[in-house]
Amino acid sequence: MGRIKDSFERARNQESKTLITYYVAGDNNINFSKKVFLKLLSHADIIEIGVPFSDPMAEGSVIQRSHERALSSDITFSKILSLVKELRIHNQDKPIVLMGYMNNFLSQGENLFKKIKKAGVDGLIIVDLPYEESEFFYNKLKDIDLDLIRLISPTTPKKTIEKIVKFSSGFLYYVSFRGVTGAKLSNFKEVQDKVKYIKSKTKIPVVVGFGIKEGEIAQKMSKISDGVVVGSRLIDIIQQKNFRLNDSLKFLEKSLKTFKRDVRKK
Amino acid sequence: MANKTNNYNYPDKNGRFGSFGGRYVSETLISALEELESLYKKIKNDKKFQEELTNDLQTFVGRPSPLYFAKRWTDKLNGAKVFLKREDLNHTGAHKINNTVGQVLLAKKMGKKRIIAETGAGQHGVATAAVCARHGIECIIFMGSEDIQRQAQNVYRMKLMGAEVCPVSSGTSTLKDAMNEAMRDWVSYIDDTHYIIGSVAGPHPYPMIVRDFNSIVGTELKKQSKILFGKYPDKIVACVGGGSNAMGIFYPFIKDKEVDLIGVEAAGSGLSSGKHAAPLSDGSPGVLHGMKTYLMQNSDGQILGTHSVSAGLDYPGVGPEHSFLKDMGRVHYEAATDKEALKAFHDLSRIEGIMPALETSHALAWVSKNAKKLKKSDIVVVNLSGRGDKDMQSVAKADGINF
Repeated sequence: MGRIKDSFERARNQESKTLITYYVAGDNNINFSKKVFLKLLSHADIIEIGVPFSDPMAEGSVIQRSHERALSSDITFSKILSLVKELRIHNQDKPIVLMGYMNNFLSQGENLFKKIKKAGVDGLIIVDLPYEESEFFYNKLKDIDLDLIRLISPTTPKKTIEKIVKFSSGFLYYVSFRGVTGAKLSNFKEVQDKVKYIKSKTKIPVVVGFGIKEGEIAQKMSKISDGVVVGSRLIDIIQQKNFRLNDSLKFLEKSLKTFKRDVRKK
Repeated sequence: MANKTNNYNYPDKNGRFGSFGGRYVSETLISALEELESLYKKIKNDKKFQEELTNDLQTFVGRPSPLYFAKRWTDKLNGAKVFLKREDLNHTGAHKINNTVGQVLLAKKMGKKRIIAETGAGQHGVATAAVCARHGIECIIFMGSEDIQRQAQNVYRMKLMGAEVCPVSSGTSTLKDAMNEAMRDWVSYIDDTHYIIGSVAGPHPYPMIVRDFNSIVGTELKKQSKILFGKYPDKIVACVGGGSNAMGIFYPFIKDKEVDLIGVEAAGSGLSSGKHAAPLSDGSPGVLHGMKTYLMQNSDGQILGTHSVSAGLDYPGVGPEHSFLKDMGRVHYEAATDKEALKAFHDLSRIEGIMPALETSHALAWVSKNAKKLKKSDIVVVNLSGRGDKDMQSVAKADGINF
């Protein structure tokens, strides 16, 4: 559990909050995504690698299309693990988290845990992991020093939050609104109250994601939490540049620098 | 198996049918599913709710549906006696309305102001639009853009009854993608919206609720067969896509081991061709649409495209209870090809004057193939789950006829 914990500490020491970024492995092909991840590794604090699924139920249209592009570039789970290994050659400090859907992880069988550990992954986010299976995954991952990162939403009742935090580690991912990724945030006060409540129940860092589109929101959210997750916005940026590599990376770097400044304590 | 069947009481408290079923959805949906489950458990046996439901089933749907002896077809087949449970005579033309009538009442009890649903062939969409019109509730139907093309008449039917039809163009632009999109909408408007899933699929409690509302079919059949034959049927046959008509007619008979239950999947161009929609016959367990069940998928867990001449069976998964019943051996699952189904469609139309839905034609195809092998005294009941008017275009096309 070293790298994730360290990254939050490092941010704290720099009087900053944690910037977490999401991009999909294989969008718009494996090499392109590798270049993007390298850029993200050098500017963000934690990177989430999206495992593309044919039926990404929780995603808005931007990330859906991203999953579709990745799948049509013939990405596979084993190619994703090779990608992580390659990224680890360039960067040994920053946490890499895989985020995806149950069916893709299940398809790997019991070897999943060993394989991801060996590749250099630090944690898993399983969007559709049911509560009653979280203990199993939590223990399996804990045995090999990996984190199980859980999501909490505005509709999660208080007593369920207490149950969720018990089988969570690394950080908790608070979904800022009722909706899919990339939609618009509507109720800041609700986020503030809920994050406060979660933080009263656990020492695990709490980050806010979904709908972090612009600096102003990133700034507001990072003030009330331990960090923010930016996903759809980054894919949007790359899309705007039509996946031309150099333009995309340049534009991405500019945006990451801004986000990085926004999550810094004022 | 014997022991399991005697004590059959599923789903368990976690919404599982053995290892199948469950609730694999994003956290935002969990509380809505819990609310639905607890309300349903509370009012399931409520007298007033049951009265309201029964009244709607009788006066709006037209229940009970008759049990019809297909005498001329039986003579031609020269084997077991074949009876048809006439769900095609229901209002809107299929069994689907048994579920929507019940779920709309649940939605009203929960104070939801907006109903959403997914549809493939359009039968569930039409059945949802009808009950929403009857109750004056806003209705939005998600439908793959591919299916909107194929089922233009049903789209128009839904619109005539005041529903809004939202085209879905992600993924394969068919039923599974419509279901993804409905889930996305539900997550976004969870506070005032109820999602009426059309099959015994999806996260718990849907497979249970949809089964229960459809089990009126099997319950009626029990009474009708006691009166007509003095016993239960020897075999009951139903087609299986998601599997709601099959669960509806099978469920009341699960503990009656003397009754053989046969589910028929869509073998499309043939099981060995890979172009089919038969996850129970040629798939493996996985997780999709909030449930663990048999799926058509590759070794990386990506869901495969499906093929069937009938849009209603064109689905890569199946209700989790079917997966459970398959593994415990209580129901036998087989498959019929497009060609076999089309032949059965023509046979029943010509010989009995009943045009079955192409979905149903798969169950009929099993009877065509197997009736001869059975004793003349055997009684086979087919769930005639829907009528074939909606399939005129597809059948004509298969016959090389242009309107």
